[in-house]
Amino acid sequence: MDTEMGQPALAEVQQIRVNFTTTSPDLQLPEGRTQLLVPADIKRYGLSRVLNSESMLNTSSPIPFDFLINGSFLRTSLEDYLKANGLSAESTVTLQYVRSLIPPVFQASFEHDDWVSGVDVLSDTARAGVWSGDKFVTGQDRILSASYDGLLRIWNKSGNVIATSASSSLGGHSASVKSAKFLSASQVASAGLDRTVRIWKYAEADDHLSGTLKPTLELYGHKAGIESLDVHGPTGRVLSAASDGTIGLWTTSKSSAPAAPAALLPGANASASKKRKIASSAPQRGPLSLTQPHTSAASAVLFDPADATIAYSASQDHTIRTIDLTTSKVENVITTSHPLLSLCALRRSGGGGGVLLAAGTSARHITLADPRVGAAATSVMTLRGHKNMVTSLCASPDNEHSLVSASHDGTCRIWDLRGARAGTRAEGGGAVSESVYVIERESQKGAQKSKSKSDVPGRGAKVFGVAWDRSWGIVSGGEDRMVQVNRGRDLLAAD
Amino acid sequence: NIDPASLLPKLPRPEELRPFPTIASIEYAGHEGRVRSVAIDPSGQWLASGGDDGTVRVWGLADGKQQWKVKLSSEDPVDVVRWRPGQETSIISAAVAEDIFFMIPSFGNPELEQTSRDILDAGFGYATNGKQLTTANGAARKDPPAKWTRPGARLEDEGVLLKATVRSPIKSINWHRRGDFFCTVSPSGQRSSVAIHTLSKHLTQIPFRKLPGLAQTASFHPSRPLFFVATQRSIRCYDLQKQELVKTLQPGARWISSFDVHPGGDNLVVGSYDRRLLWHDLEMSNRPYKTMRFHPQAIRAVKFHRTHPLFADCSDDGTLQIFHSKVVSDLMEGPTIVPVKMLKGHKVVNRLGVTDIDWHPQHPWCRVASIAKKTKNTD
Ligand SMILES: [Mg+2]
Repeated sequence: MDTEMGQPALAEVQQIRVNFTTTSPDLQLPEGRTQLLVPADIKRYGLSRVLNSESMLNTSSPIPFDFLINGSFLRTSLEDYLKANGLSAESTVTLQYVRSLIPPVFQASFEHDDWVSGVDVLSDTARAGVWSGDKFVTGQDRILSASYDGLLRIWNKSGNVIATSASSSLGGHSASVKSAKFLSASQVASAGLDRTVRIWKYAEADDHLSGTLKPTLELYGHKAGIESLDVHGPTGRVLSAASDGTIGLWTTSKSSAPAAPAALLPGANASASKKRKIASSAPQRGPLSLTQPHTSAASAVLFDPADATIAYSASQDHTIRTIDLTTSKVENVITTSHPLLSLCALRRSGGGGGVLLAAGTSARHITLADPRVGAAATSVMTLRGHKNMVTSLCASPDNEHSLVSASHDGTCRIWDLRGARAGTRAEGGGAVSESVYVIERESQKGAQKSKSKSDVPGRGAKVFGVAWDRSWGIVSGGEDRMVQVNRGRDLLAAD
Repeated sequence: NIDPASLLPKLPRPEELRPFPTIASIEYAGHEGRVRSVAIDPSGQWLASGGDDGTVRVWGLADGKQQWKVKLSSEDPVDVVRWRPGQETSIISAAVAEDIFFMIPSFGNPELEQTSRDILDAGFGYATNGKQLTTANGAARKDPPAKWTRPGARLEDEGVLLKATVRSPIKSINWHRRGDFFCTVSPSGQRSSVAIHTLSKHLTQIPFRKLPGLAQTASFHPSRPLFFVATQRSIRCYDLQKQELVKTLQPGARWISSFDVHPGGDNLVVGSYDRRLLWHDLEMSNRPYKTMRFHPQAIRAVKFHRTHPLFADCSDDGTLQIFHSKVVSDLMEGPTIVPVKMLKGHKVVNRLGVTDIDWHPQHPWCRVASIAKKTKNTD
């Protein structure tokens, strides 16, 4: 049965027959309502209104929808889409509808003294907030930033610094910090170019306007700078990836951590007269394990989101490796065509569960790979659109099909894996998806026109770290010395 | 009837020869004035640069962050920066006028810094300063060809721990792969323009007293005890053990600016100020295997990638030309050279464009030096 919508069509307005489909069980149209004649010049918004109407889904409050045709999001009028793709307006067009993507809105920027290398968030929806249970005080949402100045900072929602980590002379990092994460509402891990992993106790004053970050443990073992770390709060474990291709596994427990390798401690090589212990130095320990699975710099490492005995690491040696942390053995190797600079895991409920890994490359794209041993095709999809290296990735907190990426091109991009097209020959074929939203650096707005033209995409505005949380939204930091917050709540509503 | 085109060798299309650098992706901003030289460290993590502001700077290769800096001179530019080969140390050599400075940039790695210090200090035990030494041909010498000293408290505090001073301004430094020998060239140095130095002994020797023309640059063979010296018009290859001239290459250029020996050891590429790029097969003629002209301005530097089949040149016209080069061991078959990419976009100031180039040890990434900045190019 066809349903005429809106005003009676004028003679010159062409109509197109569409067939609505969806993969969301809760958004199914009533039997016999899926086919419709719509005006040829209708766009996304009009189609969304049609779907929400009484005779269709009859939603209590409007749900914004997006529409996929053959894997591409409809961004023009239906008519223009058909013309652009050489399709006849006579045939029935199948439109797959999905909950819409709402553009991320800029909220705030928090200014630093130096480049920001990494960010993490604390909230009742963030990982560390969940791990903290009752100990997380609702409403005390925090951002943790790591900086090239060697310091960690904890920020509140108003952009005030609640706490700054100790400087080098007081037991802090002696070089740039490259990565930092909350283990819980009261514990932080960090690592950087001084080759140490440091564990900090975080405490706030009663008024929650100030706080302290005290070093509690210094972890030695890496012989090269540490690029990335991940934490697992419930077990107190930390993973680290270093630029010599080594992966470290550490515990935050002083009593169960092995002794630190003496040769790596500060002053180990200095003459006796020069040996001067830092008064406030925290206890020093070594790794639970330190392996070298990679032949080139390891750029990222993470715990499997569902199983903290499994780790995934990505490297400039082009590989992603699955490591069994109980045996320190590499269980699976995925070899790609490019140096890998970042990694994140997307949970999958369908298709046998497990995770899908997204790896950011130096070749400006993101590769999606299936880490299961013997998976038919390891490379599942390629995400294209960044104009420079992809340095950080974070899965959506809301669903299994979207993620955010950060790049040296000065942008963060949001990707929706539901929309994919066939790759061109130059792209090497396969399934290709393009970003649905681009988040520019607020700091660069207005400055762009006066800036001399550069051949380097994103010059002066490289983004190094991004986190995506239901409460905070999208939080990113970079070369502009800013942590930038974009509202991302319900950005891609859960299916 | 034969179609003449069918007789031409079939070259692969550039897109079949990936990976090679295609875009500029990082700018290392900070130098005041021109950057004269760049070098990537043996681990592939750091980029050293030197320039007109008299500083040597070290940058994170991947993030473009300046992590270390020292001012070597307030009058003279830093003409050359080169890392000592080998990952067990982190030592930069840099030429400023007649001085070669040796420095250890600090990245919070005391072990590496100590090993590096030990390497630089070892030669002080010899304390010869060349005085009682003889030249390669056995004759006694009055004046030492170089003085090896501490550079003074200010520089030592900043990690510059050793200095060697020769008689004339140095324009080229190249290390032997084992990291003990290095050679310097001072084009205005007349009879002592080419020097071979032994770091472990703080020793400097002048291997040749006579060269037909002004020496421009020199380099060690990647695997055999051979030594190459370029004058303006020719490149001479010497056997260091037998102390004899092996061959003289005649590239046909009027003024050679630089050359590099292929990592396989049997081929050599030459760049010239008169805009020519020349490929020599050392097993074949003394004349070039191939002469190429891609630039409207002088070629400043040429460099082979150590692991990928790539080489590149850079020019005063502000561009780089990337080439794919397939070298086969078959004596009957010559190398296949395909230009795959021209990278543009460097500002040309006072007719000086891109002044130096280096490749990453593993990845098909190169770095170049130019006006007030350096840019990374990646695949
Ligand atoms: Mg041959």
